[in-house]
Amino acid sequence: MHAIIQFANAVFNPIIQLGAAPIMLIVLTLLAWALGVKFSKALEGGIKLAIALTGIGAIINLLTTTYQQPLTDFVKSTGINLSITDVGWAPLATITWGSPYTLFFLLVMVVVNLVMLSLKWTNTLDVDVFDIWHISFTALMAMYFGANLFIATLLILLIGVLKIINSDLMKPTFNDLLDAPDDNPMTTTHLNYMMNPFIMILDKLFDKIFPWLDKYDFDSADLNKRIGFWGSHFAIGVYLGVFIGLLSRQDPKEILTLAFIGGVCLELFSQIGSWFIAAVEPLSQGVTDLANKRLNGRKLNIGLDWPFLAGRSEIWAAANVLAPIMLVEALILPGNRILPLGGIIAMGVTPALLVVTRGKIIRMIVIGAIEMPLFLWAGTLSAPFVTGVAKHVGAFPAGLHAGTQIASSTKEGPIEQYLAYLVGKASTGQIEFILYALLALAAYVLIFWWYARQMKKRNAIYAAEKEQANAEA
Amino acid sequence: MIKMLTACGAGVNSSHQIKDAVEAEMKNRGYDVSVDAEMIKDVTPEMMKGVQVFLPINKPDLGFDIDIPEIDAGAILYRMPAMAQPVYDKIETEIKKIQA
Repeated sequence: MHAIIQFANAVFNPIIQLGAAPIMLIVLTLLAWALGVKFSKALEGGIKLAIALTGIGAIINLLTTTYQQPLTDFVKSTGINLSITDVGWAPLATITWGSPYTLFFLLVMVVVNLVMLSLKWTNTLDVDVFDIWHISFTALMAMYFGANLFIATLLILLIGVLKIINSDLMKPTFNDLLDAPDDNPMTTTHLNYMMNPFIMILDKLFDKIFPWLDKYDFDSADLNKRIGFWGSHFAIGVYLGVFIGLLSRQDPKEILTLAFIGGVCLELFSQIGSWFIAAVEPLSQGVTDLANKRLNGRKLNIGLDWPFLAGRSEIWAAANVLAPIMLVEALILPGNRILPLGGIIAMGVTPALLVVTRGKIIRMIVIGAIEMPLFLWAGTLSAPFVTGVAKHVGAFPAGLHAGTQIASSTKEGPIEQYLAYLVGKASTGQIEFILYALLALAAYVLIFWWYARQMKKRNAIYAAEKEQANAEA
Repeated sequence: MIKMLTACGAGVNSSHQIKDAVEAEMKNRGYDVSVDAEMIKDVTPEMMKGVQVFLPINKPDLGFDIDIPEIDAGAILYRMPAMAQPVYDKIETEIKKIQA
């Protein structure tokens, strides 16, 4: 026995010492190879993940070292403490994929999906392997705040099951929004739609208080066309750089430096994010093939990443209008420490608004503005954890102030992040947190149950309309 | 070389799956194809210049009209050869038209 442990240590310790990027290179290459991908292709994917992690680290370094002093000056000159650098979602996805735990949570969710399919609890086969990082992020956050692997897994089991149920509940709405025929199998289990229950509460209130506002709905595609390049990554980086530079009273040269480096970083974050799609690709295909083999012939809906809805212009019109609103909210919101930058185009927020309101643009904006603080607070809450993971996977510069932190201002699933925090804290045995966590989980499930009933009513109306249309035809 | 453009939400995930799949499949069929993957909200009339086939997911509302063939490539995302096949066939038909 002793000899075996010694042997294992001798083999694995040097590999673990290499750090996260090389480990994931080796693991993903071998896994893809085992799933039947050609070795050279598998290795290509593994290397791409490693260079994506390294690249994201380099850009985080550039952004945080450039913005560190101006953000400190910003706090001094305005008295507003917004010291967390908002890097947007792409670095968070990359560093989460840099953690080997992500593969474990992927395995758990694949098993959950297959079990739910075989029990006929769902009709959705989730093939969106890339977005497993949201689940992994939630679990790792719970672990950061004190949960063990078992408790964190239980938490994501609950969230994962509800997510899959939600994809079935939303399916008729997707067909409506896409004007798609019944045999279109597109659906999604994306975490951002777990805001639907909360949004639906606000939507019902809107029905009672402001129904007259709906008549001011405007043409979203037209607004987006007018905004043009001002909504693109580099432009946002440039004018937020100027904004921070002016408020922190830098000289003109420094302001322009901030502007252009902001533009470079925001543009590159999403570019680099796309590099490791190639690394995940063989996994996605492997999972899909495996599931198909077990479900021979059964007709299923297929869970994709959320952007099959991205052609609906309301998503972008609402995000464009919400950007300046979010900036103002960030400046005045008590308890907020994050200044919107990389996450200011809130595409983690607006798809759920589209689904619940079915494209009523004024509602999307008003409800979006009301729920935005949840995202900013979650960004603030998650910052020490995100910074910790970035350090752990070697994607964070060493020479910064101890207090320098990164996060995303519009990371999907803010409520799930609060749950992760509470469950994590409860796991350390503090009585009051055990109570909070249980109450929060109960509320989460109850609100989802209420939402599910509303969606079933909506779906019954869709079905009745279809029947009537068929009868008339 | 035939130039195509696809687009999704962030220009990171879905559009790159389509790009890689279309480029690989068309290479197998003996065509030289290059697909750009973009963020759909950044797609402008200028960006469309020189593009010969547009490969969106579903039917996006771009806010302007395009005068090149548009083929819904969403089915590629299901990762099942039988469902992707018709998309590839349509793309091949358009390529043949362009080359004719």
